[in-house]
Amino acid sequence: MSRSVQETDYDALSCRISAIVKGYMPCEVQIQKCGFSKYAEMHLAYANALRSTSRRAYGKIRKTVESALPVINYGTYLRTVSIDAVVSDFLEKKRDSEQLQILNLGCGSDLRAAQFLKRFPQCRVVEVDYSTSVALKIKTLKESPELVELFAVGSSVASQSTELITERYCLLPCDISKMDQVTTMLSVHFSPDAPTLVLTECVLCYMAENHSSQLIKTVQDYFNEGCWLSYDPIGGVEGKDNFGSIMRDNLRESRQLEMPTLMSFNDPAAYAARFASGRVPVQIQTMWQYYRVSVTSEEKQRLKALQFLDEIEELQIMLSHYILMDARWNKVRPA
Amino acid sequence: MEVDSDVPMRDAVDEPLDPTLDEDARAFPAVSEGETSGIADHKSNKPLELTKGSIGQLDKWIEHLGKCQILSEEDVSSLCKMAVDVLQFEENVQPVSVPVTICGDVHGQFHDLIELFKIGGPCPDTNYLFMGDYVDRGYYSVETVSYLVAMKVRYPKRITILRGNHESRQITQVYGFYDECLRKYGSANVWKMFTDLFDYFPITALVDNKIFCLHGGLSPMIETVDQVRELNRIQEVPHEGPMCDLLWSDPDDRGGWGISPRGAGFTFGQDISEQFNHTNDLSLIARAHQLVMEGYAWSHQQSVVTIFSAPNYCYRCGNQAAIMEVDENHNRQFLQYEPSMRPGEPTVSRKTPDYFL
Repeated sequence: MSRSVQETDYDALSCRISAIVKGYMPCEVQIQKCGFSKYAEMHLAYANALRSTSRRAYGKIRKTVESALPVINYGTYLRTVSIDAVVSDFLEKKRDSEQLQILNLGCGSDLRAAQFLKRFPQCRVVEVDYSTSVALKIKTLKESPELVELFAVGSSVASQSTELITERYCLLPCDISKMDQVTTMLSVHFSPDAPTLVLTECVLCYMAENHSSQLIKTVQDYFNEGCWLSYDPIGGVEGKDNFGSIMRDNLRESRQLEMPTLMSFNDPAAYAARFASGRVPVQIQTMWQYYRVSVTSEEKQRLKALQFLDEIEELQIMLSHYILMDARWNKVRPA
Repeated sequence: MEVDSDVPMRDAVDEPLDPTLDEDARAFPAVSEGETSGIADHKSNKPLELTKGSIGQLDKWIEHLGKCQILSEEDVSSLCKMAVDVLQFEENVQPVSVPVTICGDVHGQFHDLIELFKIGGPCPDTNYLFMGDYVDRGYYSVETVSYLVAMKVRYPKRITILRGNHESRQITQVYGFYDECLRKYGSANVWKMFTDLFDYFPITALVDNKIFCLHGGLSPMIETVDQVRELNRIQEVPHEGPMCDLLWSDPDDRGGWGISPRGAGFTFGQDISEQFNHTNDLSLIARAHQLVMEGYAWSHQQSVVTIFSAPNYCYRCGNQAAIMEVDENHNRQFLQYEPSMRPGEPTVSRKTPDYFL
């Protein structure tokens, strides 16, 4: 199971590279609002470094770049940009804090940390994942001089390392379904008082319900002030809508990939309820809502010119089954 | 620690990724100009007449294709040459009489096409009118389009196959048919034959002068059915203009003409549909092109119907499919159906539809 979950990172990465190669990203929001620079270069450096560290991942990227359909490029663009915008918004709001922290749970090959480290000098980023994913990411970062510089990894770290710890950026192996490991990681690497952004991008959906709820509780309890940003599929209402059950069966059959809570946290309200314990205000929207409301008409025109999007109805169905949730808490000064 | 050393390299190419892309090439992938398949090099000046020999040949192909097995490249070439001599004599507005069963997008879902013929009754006992989009997205575009073209050549008066926006060189390079041809035949020859053939497909049909059938919808440059008759359709689907619109447009709740979210064609409101039906003395516009969850959907107070015949579209959308029977008295009946089981198809060989993971 862990292998099939781990491999979803290759899907996420290859889709991101595809959307970059096709010109979807970087976009105005990433460049202007989030202050990203050398975004495409950073990703291509990583992809090309994978040639010598994981031929499997690199092969997947090449294949996806050739064949990803517009719906996939659209959805990848929306997911990536909407998350970037909230992360940027949170850090910007807390800019006056002495210290800012990002915890990326199940980080995979996510590279956005470099962009925020550059822009917010008081920000520390800790990324955790399976040990094999972490080892591959360390090795791949080390392979590219550009990435070594961007992540300020330094030459002292051996490329065979199982963890990477620098002053502002840490990449650690951690099984996030084991609370003893999570608790240790938190207490070693995080101050409970600094405003902290917690990110789970297509991560909770692969966890058993009791594991994800323990994780949410443990992390929310630890930090006094935080913003939990989560992107996941939702199954929809069975009987009325069978997208979710078809997705579950397809992924189980072809990838041995389980999504244990897809059909229980199946709509935005059910998904958000797990984070809303106490007085945590939660904002949640489907990616279709995000596309409709938050993407400007100029940007929609730009996207349309990149590739023919023949399948607008299909895009609507797919995007309506993915959500972005943003739960913020502050125990010192409750909202 | 060696990462991933156990995994054999299959797809990786030892060239670095290059992000540079020709700006103009993004929306429209390059099509090699000039080189054609040759299927239309020796067109006849009169419609194909079937002989005992050609009937036998076609029946053999249909039987073979019916088992979801592809024809040889040589056979596809012969089939397409015959099809050119049938389709070149059809009209831009192909007349069709009742009774007829009208079908929407199939998109390479071969097993569901077989299910469609079970639900609607076998051809040639039942007359069929297909409104385009035979290829792309599903995994059996080659089998699907070969089968329908073979049926068309075998029973030219019993089945009508219109052109959809996916019956195009450019769209098939993005949405799967091109890659499928390469995979199944090892070269692009079969793709070239079929895409050359697509230029001859009629673009609209008129059922008993009352139901106007086409893939997409109306065009601001077309007010009358006669104007469609004047178009030169034997060409690649253009990026704009009336022929493009007929294959790309969608009805919309807003009145008048609107900008299409798809990048080609327009949206048209109820006022436009009603005016068109009134001007041309039509009772209905039947079209396909849009996924609708029930398989069919009325719009514009029943002046327009959308029919979609690919159940569980792309193996992930969870929709029903439908076809519309029109009888001798112009009574209409919708038949809905679910995805067929795909017996004997090993699940491992089935490609998973893409999700965001």
